[in-house]
Order: sequence, then C-alpha cells, then structure tokens
Amino acid sequence: MESTMQQRKDEILAKKAKLAELKRQRELRREGQASRTSARGSPDNLFQPTPSRADEKRNLDSFINNIIGDSRPGSTQPGSPSGGRPARPTSVLSASQLSSDNEISPPFKRLSGMVDRETQTLSIAPMATVFEFDGDTTTTSVTSVKGQGKEKEVITYSKGVQTSTDWSPIRGRGSGGSDSERDDSPTSPKAKRLSRRQKEREEDIRANLKKEIEEEIRAAQQASLDADATTSGSKDNFPFKTLSNEELAAVENSEEFAGFVERSTKVLERALDQQLGYDILADYAIGGMDVDEEDEGYGSSGGKKGRRIKELAQFWDERWSKKRMISDLGFSTKFPELVLASYTKNPSAPHDPDGLVQVWNLHMHDRPEYIFHAQSDILTAKFSPFHPNLIIGGAYSGQVLLWDTRAKSSPVQKTPLTGSGHTHPVYSIDIVGTQNANNIISCSTDGVVCGWTVDMLSQPQEFLELISPPPAKTEDVAMTCIAFPQSDPTYFLAGTEEGVIYPCHRYDRAGAKAGVDSRARYTGHAAPVMSLDFHPAKGHIDLGDLVLSSSVDWSVKLWKVRPPAATGTSNGSTQGSTQLVKPILDIAREDLVYDARWSPTKPSVFALVDGAGSLEVWDINVDVEVPMQKVMPSENKRGAFASMPSGMGYMNRSLNKLAWERNEGRKVAVGGMDGVVTVFEVGADLGGLETRAEEWSGVKRLVGRLEGTGETAVNGK
Amino acid sequence: MAQNTAEDTLSLLTRISQKPGVQSTLILSRDTGAIVRTSGLISNTTSANPNSTLPASLETAPDNYSNGRKEGGMQSAEDVASLVWSFLGAAGKLVDGLDKEDEVKLLRLRTKKNELVIMPDPRYIMIMIHEAPSA
Repeated sequence: MESTMQQRKDEILAKKAKLAELKRQRELRREGQASRTSARGSPDNLFQPTPSRADEKRNLDSFINNIIGDSRPGSTQPGSPSGGRPARPTSVLSASQLSSDNEISPPFKRLSGMVDRETQTLSIAPMATVFEFDGDTTTTSVTSVKGQGKEKEVITYSKGVQTSTDWSPIRGRGSGGSDSERDDSPTSPKAKRLSRRQKEREEDIRANLKKEIEEEIRAAQQASLDADATTSGSKDNFPFKTLSNEELAAVENSEEFAGFVERSTKVLERALDQQLGYDILADYAIGGMDVDEEDEGYGSSGGKKGRRIKELAQFWDERWSKKRMISDLGFSTKFPELVLASYTKNPSAPHDPDGLVQVWNLHMHDRPEYIFHAQSDILTAKFSPFHPNLIIGGAYSGQVLLWDTRAKSSPVQKTPLTGSGHTHPVYSIDIVGTQNANNIISCSTDGVVCGWTVDMLSQPQEFLELISPPPAKTEDVAMTCIAFPQSDPTYFLAGTEEGVIYPCHRYDRAGAKAGVDSRARYTGHAAPVMSLDFHPAKGHIDLGDLVLSSSVDWSVKLWKVRPPAATGTSNGSTQGSTQLVKPILDIAREDLVYDARWSPTKPSVFALVDGAGSLEVWDINVDVEVPMQKVMPSENKRGAFASMPSGMGYMNRSLNKLAWERNEGRKVAVGGMDGVVTVFEVGADLGGLETRAEEWSGVKRLVGRLEGTGETAVNGK
Repeated sequence: MAQNTAEDTLSLLTRISQKPGVQSTLILSRDTGAIVRTSGLISNTTSANPNSTLPASLETAPDNYSNGRKEGGMQSAEDVASLVWSFLGAAGKLVDGLDKEDEVKLLRLRTKKNELVIMPDPRYIMIMIHEAPSA
C-alpha cells in the first residue's frame, strides 16, 4: 500500500513537474511570440499610412506567413499533406458567414474578403500538424482535461474572426461562433488527439492573428475614415519621404534629372514669358484704358501706322553672350519663332569654346532654346531650309559644321581642318537645291568654294578655286559673301574684299568654264562687300535679277545682273574682254553698311543695318533717297557694354547682321557688336504676305527708268 | 555638354526661382512624393532636406506677406506638396476617365492672386507658383 501510495505520489509529483515544465515552456513561447509580434507588426507600423491598400494586405499576408512559417515550416501551403480534409469546419462556416456579412457592409467588402482568406489560411496550419503528429503523441494522458480547457480559448479566436465582419462592436457577438466551435471540436476525434503542445501553438498563433487582424481592421477603419473626412489633401496619406543628402546628390547628378530640369524649366520660362505678352484672362470691361500702347519711345518708331516698326524682344545671355559679337542671324523656316545667332569668341574667357551658336525663342526671352559650340569662331550660320533640325555653320578655322537640335551642343559633323576643304575662314555659306537634292556651298577668303552634302562632311563633293581675272592685284578672290539666285543653283555672285563682285559658275557650261566668269564684273564698291542678296522674286513679275549689295564704303547698291548664259554675247563685246557693269542705283548712307536684305514678301522693301547701330527699312517704290523707317534697338539689354555710359560712339552700337523672317516677312532680327539680338516687327506696309500688283510693276518700272537714265544713279548724298 | 553637370542644372533652377514674379518652386519625385528642391517655401517638419532649398527671388521676400500666404510669410513646402499631389492625382483621374491612353502634361491653374504651373514628368514633378499679372 505504502509502496503503491508512494508510487502514486511519485507519479503525481512527476506529472506535476511535467505540468509545470509544460506551463513554463508555454510561457516562454508566448513571450517569444509577443516579442516577435512587436518586432514585426507593431501597431505603429500598421497605423502608418502606406500608399495603397494592396501594400497593407501584402504586409499582413507576409506577417502571418512569417508566424506560421516560423512555428511550423511548410504548413501554410494549401497543398500540405492534410489537403482537403475538413478538420475544422469552423473555418468553412465562418467563411460563409463572412461572405454573407459582406453584403451588408459593402464599403469594407474587399477588406473583409481579405480577413476571410487569412482565416482559411490559418485553418490549414493545424491540419497539417494533425497529420504529422498523428502517430507519436496520441498517448499523452494529461491532454484530455487540458485539451478541454484549451478549447475554450480557441473560441476567442473564433470570435475574433467572426466579429471581424461586424466592424464596430468587435467583441459583440461571440456566441454563435463559439457554439459552432464547441460543437465541433470535442466531437471531432482528431481534435482530441492533438497534442497539448500543438494546441498551445495553434492557440498562440490564433491569438496573435486575432490581435493582428483586429489591428488591421482598426487601421483600415482609421484609413477609410481619413479618406472620407478629407478626400483631398489628406496629409496623412501623402507619401512623404525625406531625402538624405546622399539621395539628393544622387538625384541631382542623374542624367534623368538634368534632362527633366532642362525640359521643365524651359516650359516654365515660356509660361512666364507668354504671360507677360498677353493675359488671356484680360477683362477689357474692367481696365479699359491701356489703349495707347503704341508708345513712341526708344526701340519703336513713329509715323504712319502701316510703316511702324515695333521692337518685340531682345535676347542676351549673361553667361554666353558676354563679350561676343554677333556674326550671323537666321530665322528657322519651320518654326518662325526661332532665331539663331552665331557669335565670335569671348576674348576674356579662354576656357569657353570659341564658337557659339544660340537659338533663341521669341516666346522665351531670357534664355536660349539651344546652345551650340565649336572650337573656332563661328562666322556664319543658318538653319537648313530642308531639315528643320539642322544648323549649318562656317568657322574661322575653315571648317563647315553641322549641329542637330536633337543632339548635344557639340557639332554632329564637321569638315576636317586640313587636306581637302577650306583652310581659310568661311564667311559665307548657303544651302542650295531642292528638298531631295541639296548641297551646302561654302566659300573661304582664299577663293575656294566647296560643295558638301549634308550627310558627309568628311570631304567636299565639289571643289572650286576661284582665280581673279587679270586686272586684279592678287590671284586669290578674297570672298566675303556669296549669293545664289532663286532660279539657278549653278550660278552665283561672289563679293570680295576689294569691292568687286564676280559672277561665278559652279560647273563648266557652254561658253563658260567653271569659276569666275571673266566676261563681266560688277564694279562700284570701293571697299569690301559685306553682303549680297538676290531678290526673292515670288510674285507676278520676275525680279530675280535684282541684287542688293552693301559695303563698308557707306553705300548700298542695286544691280541688275545679266543672265549668265547671255553675258558674253548680248552686248557685242569681244570674247575675253571684261565688261564692267555699274549699279543701277547707288544709295549712299551715313555710315558703314554691314548688311542689306530684301524683304522676303514685299517686292520693293529692303532693310539694312549700319555701323551707327540703326536698322533702316526702305521702300524703293516710295523713296530711293530716304528710308521709310529708322530705328535703333532699345537699351534694355545693353549687353557687353552695359557698364559703359551710353553714346560711346560708333563701335558699341554697331549692328552687323540682319535677318528677315522668311514665311511672313513681318519680323526682322538684328544684332551686332554688343552681342544683343533684337527682333522688330514691321508694319503692314513694310511686311506681311499681302502684296499688290502695283508694287511689283512699280519696281519693274523703277528699274526700267533707272536703267534708262544711265548706268549709275547716285542719290546725291 | 553645357547643361549636363549638376552645377548647371542647379543654376537653371536658381534662375527660374529668381525670375521676377516667381514666388516659389518645388520639385517632387513622382513615385514617392519626396521633395527634391524647393524655393520660396519653408519646411515646418523634417520632411524636406534643408539642403534642397534654393535661393528665392528677392522681390518676393518680406514685403509680400499678404499675397496668399500664411502668417509666417511663407507656406510650408509639405503643405503645398501634398495639395499639389492630390490635385495632380485628381487631374490624372480626370484624364484617365476621358481617355485611358492619355496623360497629363501640364497644369496651369489661375487663381485670383497667383498662377500655379505644374509640369509632371515620368520621374519628377515641377511646380512653380508665380504672381498672376494683375487682370
């Protein structure tokens, strides 16, 4: 008896010890779980608004997977050994309940569906364990009592799941769920065989999950409340992130960011400048007194309305335009708001590229649209009329350069410095031909004329060396400018430093060899010819044989050019002797004339710029002695000479170049020594597309009269 | 070539932020909404990197308090950023609703006092607030 009693006692003690041990283990495990919970899924994390609901869901999923995966690896997979065995009908039941509840609370449909899924995932976990532990843990004697005790706690889990669909009272209705659970678990024979440890684990997981889900729900409620309350501008939902210095630096150094800034700041500047030009919200009923905007100050001119000239914009850039002179100007034919300006080098900035071309936009006043560079001063540049993206330039080094607005600032193609091609400065360049067959023609001051194709600048397609005919002192034809007539791309005029203008042929032809046509010479200028311009002749009467030349001998001259084929025969002079052609009109000016250009639309209008810094617009039908208009660029942007007092004399205001906008003929760009590009708009009488037939016939009559009165008509000044 | 260094990029931004009439500029990252650059705005939290602030235009400095600004004279960059963010989201929704394949390229919003120019790009968003010409 004693011994049996003792035995019993020992047994009880052992059991107690075992129990205690189990309890301790359970405590430990719970602690571990708890710490894990706080580590991974702290409420803070959940409450933090994340960009999208999908993220939250993913977080929770992964968290649950973590928990279950940790405690029982591999059991979360739906395809685990226990697959398909309905060990816990609860989950199925609750799932159906949930789905029915879903319809009651549509706003949270998606969320509850999600919770639902978690429940199912959870239910699979114990199933797997059941299967695995079937064999070895059935005999533990303590389980049955303890198991029952545990079952009650399982109910709380069930509550959680069930209430999750019913949002506000989370603990509200537990009975239904617990009933089903109670009904279910004790009767299931498998459940009784679950080891205590398993149950503990399972229960822990459930408790954890319950906590998680509740938190999730609360977070979701919070979020949805937020969203409802402040649909717009909910700062809680705004994904803020502070960039560290390193991140900032990384962003700023990225090519992408540079491109973005380049693009966006251009847009912003255009937006700003557009606003300045005209306010689309203007209400004329309110203001209504800014009628006299036609102010007659500096930069604009008075006179009859149609003959006015108004300054539109001035372009100058502190960084690049400084101390450079404008060497050429040109409008884009495709985008008439774009003006290119080529510049000489800045003598005080040896590290900057010598050559510079800036493309200005009339809608963006303070900053060039594009900047292109070259290693040598650019002396001439123009947009290719056939490829709107291409800009062709001639350099002091003798190179012909090609830039592309789609590429970077360095030229995409250039001719070699040595060998074939030019070895002297290229002052004049033209693109002749048609859309499909065009050539770049360039000329240098040593008398070399080259023809290039746009696709290949490595060597010239044509090479022609002009030789001065006998009376000249030197052999070289020091060309300063060339001009092609509209009708014939094989024939051109070349203006020289001596002041003589030679007619030239690109190719051998009947009665003339390629090169300078020795049968005619246009003499009249006493100093270097600065510009030559054929009449654009697009009207009723062909005036394409009229040429305008300007020179630093203070004059502009009008010539009637002999047709190239007829030069030798028409006037009966003997072969070989040179006919000297005189200008039909000589207009003396008060200063050096640097450039003179026909209006592209009005047959009788031309513009000139001079060393005194004025732009003059002439209409030879109205007057051949006095310009219609004379204006000077305003001094808003005084460019390189900003620091000097005004009225310093000639040099600082001198204008070198002028260019007409070719499509409408309303705008004229001028530029000069100070590096400032100024764009003027001329009145309807001096520009625009509308021309009357009398204007054309008037020019014709004038030319006939001038020819009749003698070779030269000096206007007496 | 000329525009590719970070320095040049920065000077472009400084330029625009100092143009007359420009009150503030802001660059946000498109995906996170993080503030990359600001000018003319103060940041009241630590959300903005202090280094990201550019010099603002001088004329909008102290004497323009009344012009659509809060008591402190400046609006906080975060407020503007989040407001613009949600505005852009709404605009995006609108465009999406009209045509799935379309996207927002530029937003100009005129108010009585200011104009906002918002230019979204694939990676960044540029925001400029400037004085509207007195109409």
